[in-house]
Amino acid sequence: MINIDFSAYEETRPKVEGVVCPTCGKLHYPAPMICDRCNTRRDPSGARYSRWETTELEGNCTLLTWTRVHALPDGFDIPFLQFGIVEFSNGLRASGLLKSENPEIGMQLTAIADVVRETGNKKEWGLVFVT
Amino acid sequence: MRKVAVVGIGHTRFGNLSDYNLVDVMAMASLDAMEDAGITEERTLIDQLFVANMGGGIINHQTGIASALVSRIAMEPTPAELIENGPASGASAVKLGYMAVKSGMADLVMVTGGELMRAVTGWKGTDFVATLLHPDVEYRYGLTLPAFGGMFTRLYMERYGLTERDLALVAVKDHANGAKNPFAHVQNECTMEGIYDGPNAEVVNNYVAEPLRLYSMCPVSDGAASLLLCATDSPLYERFKKRAGIVISGIGSATDTHCVHNRKDPLDLEAVRISAERAYQNACLTASDISFAELHDAFVILEIAISEEIGLFRKGEAKNAIAEGATKVTGSMPINTSGGLKAKGHPVGATGVSQVYELVKQLRQEAEEGRQVADPVHGIAVNFGGFGNNVVTTICSKEFA
Repeated sequence: MINIDFSAYEETRPKVEGVVCPTCGKLHYPAPMICDRCNTRRDPSGARYSRWETTELEGNCTLLTWTRVHALPDGFDIPFLQFGIVEFSNGLRASGLLKSENPEIGMQLTAIADVVRETGNKKEWGLVFVT
Repeated sequence: MRKVAVVGIGHTRFGNLSDYNLVDVMAMASLDAMEDAGITEERTLIDQLFVANMGGGIINHQTGIASALVSRIAMEPTPAELIENGPASGASAVKLGYMAVKSGMADLVMVTGGELMRAVTGWKGTDFVATLLHPDVEYRYGLTLPAFGGMFTRLYMERYGLTERDLALVAVKDHANGAKNPFAHVQNECTMEGIYDGPNAEVVNNYVAEPLRLYSMCPVSDGAASLLLCATDSPLYERFKKRAGIVISGIGSATDTHCVHNRKDPLDLEAVRISAERAYQNACLTASDISFAELHDAFVILEIAISEEIGLFRKGEAKNAIAEGATKVTGSMPINTSGGLKAKGHPVGATGVSQVYELVKQLRQEAEEGRQVADPVHGIAVNFGGFGNNVVTTICSKEFA
């Protein structure tokens, strides 16, 4: 009997992850190769240095600023998209898609992970900020 | 220490040059700079070429551009290297040229920047520039440089009370200057009636990345610019005396976080401020010595924000200066006498070189009628790469200022 691992082909749940420095506990997004607070190195393969734990980014956040873009790059066949930069309650910040009818600086939003771009069969995950 | 003079300048028309070849366009500007310096026949006296280009590999499907340029202008075996530093590639090439001369490794250096962006559609062009963003946490969303410009503008408006009217005033001023610049991409004036007050303004000047509108954005341009830099203590300098007298008095650059969201304050353009501080220090000058400025207004908000970060105006006060006309050619602090990126255009790899070209043109008092600053002594140029993550500031001065 041939054992084939099909798990790589299965649809999995969208998620967006930050990483935690194993030495000082600072949360980073996106993952750096060295912690800017304590200089601990990260090795994505885990071979040379201890792995950095990942943590999912989601939940309550505040809208710092936003825009509605009417001229999108190649690959987006839609009239416009909204983008925002948010701050989570732990101080971490992130950019992402903004889905709100009447966005206002300072408004409370919820960050969820969802598909943000589809190229062919490839689905790319990212943060979506919803009211 | 030896000074670095600009002894030759060349510039092509900015605009749609997509019928031409990228290296031909760069060669045209390079040969114009040599002709200006009177060194065309003896061009192999040039020790080194620094070539700036951001997207040849992506949009023109051409690499090895510095080598191609040397050959196109028959300058082998002169050493040549390409500098890619995003939209700050041009000023980075100027900086490396300055460092080469200053260090003594070279006496005479040519710096040429060029870009042919209209070879592809606007969508592809926007996508190409967006590849400088973080691939995973910015680019994948469809975020672009105009999107970051829009988000920056909105926050700036909220904090400093800037209005869309203020943005339109910058565009009107830039277009008025561009209309007098024979190299500018857009050579027609625009009015407040047309883009802000009038009944059709909403249509003529539609939103692109809110609150930025069409007339808040630079066009996508092709073009090239070139400079010849010479050490003033070199025996070669004698032969340029007729066209010389302008030096690069200071240059500085700085970087900032790749991701915009990781900045402590999204409105803080730290790399702009630090690059300017370094340039002022290098030149032994302060902001109060500056006579005029060429600032990287890819979005008009950047002219406003950069003018404050480099100390020409206090934070939040540039809008008053604009309303009073201080930034016009006839004002107390003329900004973007060339038309700026807004009207002159923004062929990304050429822009930083083109800004220094304008500083030299003004300091030589050779600018066209109506856009010549009265008795300028020191000019400053800021070339802004990424969304402010790699910035180069250059100060040019009269040699015996």
